[in-house]
Amino acid sequence: MIEIEALEFHYPQGEFHLSIPRMSVAQGEKVAVIGPSGSGKTTLLNLIAGISCPQQGTVKVAGQTVSSFSDAGRRDFRITNLGFVFQDFELLDYLNVLDNILHPYRITRALKLTQQVQQRAIDLSNGLEIGDKLKRFSGELSQGEKQRAAICRALLPQPRIILADEATGNLDPRNKGRILDLLFENVESHGASLLAVTHDHELLPRFDRVIDFLEFRTGAAA
Amino acid sequence: MINSLYIAWRYLVFNKVRSATLIACITLIAFLPMALQLILEESQQLLQSRANSTPLLLGARGSALDLVMNSLYFDDEVPEIISMQAADEITDTGLAYVIPLYIRFQARNKPIVGTSIDYFDFRNLQIAQGRMLAVLGESVIGAGVAEEYGLAPGDSIVSSPDTLFDLAGAYPLKMTVAGILERSHTPDDQAVFVDLKTAWVIEGLGHGHEDLSRTRDSSVILNRSEDSVTANAKLFQYTEITEENMEGFHFHGDASIYPLTALLAIPDDAKAATLLRGRYLENQQYHIVRPTEVIQGLMENIFRIKRVIDAVIAIVGLATVLAIALVFSLSVRLRQRELTTIFKLGCSRMTAVKLIAAEIVIIVLAAGIICAGLLYIVDANVETLVRMFILN
Amino acid sequence: MNAKFWQIIVSILLVVSFTASADEKLSVYAVNYPLAYFAERIGGSSVNVVLPVPADIDPAFWEPDASVIAEFQQADLILLNGAGYAKWLKHASLPRRKLVNTSAAFQRDYISVEQTVTHQHGPGGDHSHAGTAFTTWLDFNQARMQAKAILSVLENQRPRHADTFIQNYTLLEKDLVSLDQTLSAIVAQDSNKPFIASHPVYQYLARRYNINMKSVMWEPEIMPQQNQWDALQQLLATHSAGWMIWEGQPDKQSATRLEELDINSLVFSPCANTPEEGDFISVMKNNIREIEKAFR
Repeated sequence: MIEIEALEFHYPQGEFHLSIPRMSVAQGEKVAVIGPSGSGKTTLLNLIAGISCPQQGTVKVAGQTVSSFSDAGRRDFRITNLGFVFQDFELLDYLNVLDNILHPYRITRALKLTQQVQQRAIDLSNGLEIGDKLKRFSGELSQGEKQRAAICRALLPQPRIILADEATGNLDPRNKGRILDLLFENVESHGASLLAVTHDHELLPRFDRVIDFLEFRTGAAA
Repeated sequence: MINSLYIAWRYLVFNKVRSATLIACITLIAFLPMALQLILEESQQLLQSRANSTPLLLGARGSALDLVMNSLYFDDEVPEIISMQAADEITDTGLAYVIPLYIRFQARNKPIVGTSIDYFDFRNLQIAQGRMLAVLGESVIGAGVAEEYGLAPGDSIVSSPDTLFDLAGAYPLKMTVAGILERSHTPDDQAVFVDLKTAWVIEGLGHGHEDLSRTRDSSVILNRSEDSVTANAKLFQYTEITEENMEGFHFHGDASIYPLTALLAIPDDAKAATLLRGRYLENQQYHIVRPTEVIQGLMENIFRIKRVIDAVIAIVGLATVLAIALVFSLSVRLRQRELTTIFKLGCSRMTAVKLIAAEIVIIVLAAGIICAGLLYIVDANVETLVRMFILN
Repeated sequence: MNAKFWQIIVSILLVVSFTASADEKLSVYAVNYPLAYFAERIGGSSVNVVLPVPADIDPAFWEPDASVIAEFQQADLILLNGAGYAKWLKHASLPRRKLVNTSAAFQRDYISVEQTVTHQHGPGGDHSHAGTAFTTWLDFNQARMQAKAILSVLENQRPRHADTFIQNYTLLEKDLVSLDQTLSAIVAQDSNKPFIASHPVYQYLARRYNINMKSVMWEPEIMPQQNQWDALQQLLATHSAGWMIWEGQPDKQSATRLEELDINSLVFSPCANTPEEGDFISVMKNNIREIEKAFR
């Protein structure tokens, strides 16, 4: 599903340098990425999502060389093929839960908001146990409910890959496990791959594979 | 674009206070100059048409504007008083016929216009209900007065005392409403018309009482001699003229010294008008004015002031626009995180622009609709507003 | 039917309507019969003269109702006598523009009425009601001036017919001058001859024709009361009149009793209202014949 070859990336300013000779994630695989802060885990997600472009090497997602797409191409690809789950949920406070879930469909022409999609959103929210809170605003939700809403948003376009950046970072221990369970359940049922950046070592055993970012970090640390 | 509008709408609804404030600012900035323009245009039309239909006005030398405003628009600034003699003088010239005016008193906050019934022909006022004035003590009221106070022919209206403490002054007079005029969309709609003599009765120049030579009530008699009877203050001075007591109503003294506020002078032709004006050019006591000229001067002044107000509004408007622009730019900064998120999700930078643009469109549209609504209300009530702000 | 045809039709209609309106009769309302008579004599077919006073009422004291006042308001001209005639004018609302004070030319010569009880009250001080004698037309010279005033206003209103009005006026003037001269000549025979007027309505007559006249306040159809007879006696002491002038045929008893006092009666009708028979000139001629009786 994800294949990275000979990737070299650095930011215009600063000494940060990321070098990944090879990395892959198979379809349906649930991979955790760990590493110290500043090691470039989020950068990796950005490169896979096509938010950033490597100076060298290729990033292939679902068989497509995303790194060679145009800016518009990468955006359209991203919104139709990838789902993001953020540490801080990143829900919009002025939209209710349903509108938040449907939001990706309203910000791009690549996705069409239809009745079916709306129904799917309702079904997803029911599946993630927030079906009764669709009219509420994010300010009225608990942390766990917020993350579930965010997961619904990520899953609604039926992406092939879910990129989770510290998805459980702001949750209490009881919710962490619960959220991860729900995430795994839905990822499996959709046949999607999951690449999750996490600091939480307790959760690692639940993943299929763990990638330690220390392998790829070069530059000042090396 | 629909989606952007939807999202923008949600954002505005969620931030009600901010949205309402922005809409209010834009509405005000748009509404004020337009409303002002509307009111001034209407007032110009109202004032000018009335002035154009009034050839000449004679009054005591002094403020021409006060004279015109009181005589044509029944403003409560009473000009200096002149006498009936002025009417006779003009009539004697043969150059014009006159319509005397005595506009000094009020009845229930409406001006009482004492005049001769030629006034109604001159102003082309028709009776809608009842009939024209016939005798002393009757009134004919404008359509606006009838509507406001629910008056019909046969009802009464009482004149207000000049001052609360004027114990020896004018007595309130209860006047019968003989008729109601058709609506004319002029200040005549808001006036109470009486015969000049009735106005003089209100002034206290005419009054009625029992015939002292025949009275049987000796307690009202102070002194009686062969050819003179003096009454004391017990003698009741009527406040209502009825069929029974009308005969007793009378006026003392020579009518030529009785007061007027102005004379409408309608000359036979332009030459007569010029001759008449010429005769009063050097007159120390009176002057003749052309209402058209006076109103033109007034409107020029008003519009001059309006231009200043417009300039001020423009500056304030510019400041408001800048402030609004600042609000939006701050808003964008505040929403940087949201914009980053949706960019990460896969939307283009254009989308962010579209979202902000959609907000602006909705706000401006809302302000526009409210502004249009307010202007519609102003337009519907412009006559009343002109009367409130310009005439009074 | 082409445009030119319709243009001609419209022009004809306009001319006809213009002519018709220009020749429309002037509606003239008068406050008493003498003025109505003069207006009819002078105006002829150009005027429609109305005297709405009922025949049996003295126009000076008549009180019209609102509907009659409205008729006055609608008239083209309202002929007023002046000299405070009539009472109802003090309280009525009439259009100034249409009012014609027929005695304006001699208003300085109005006669004030004596022997009126004045009254005063309040802080204003002494007032008297300026009583003015109003039977101005009994001085036939004044009557002529009143007729002249009517001529003047009719000429203004209908200049096209001015010539006709002047012709008519000239004939009327001749009649009035004749009355004036005849009566002057009669009275000149004995200008000191004392008369008593039964009612104070002959002031102008007395002044113009130098008639030595004093007045009481009697009504022709009512037998005077004793105090009135007493007052007459007192008057006769200083003014030994042999004739009483009545406005109308006196009560037989009054006449008889007067004869006992060596006072004869003659009728000089002021003719303020429409006479039962004849017209103003014939009534005045009759009046003169009556007065002539006293000078035979």
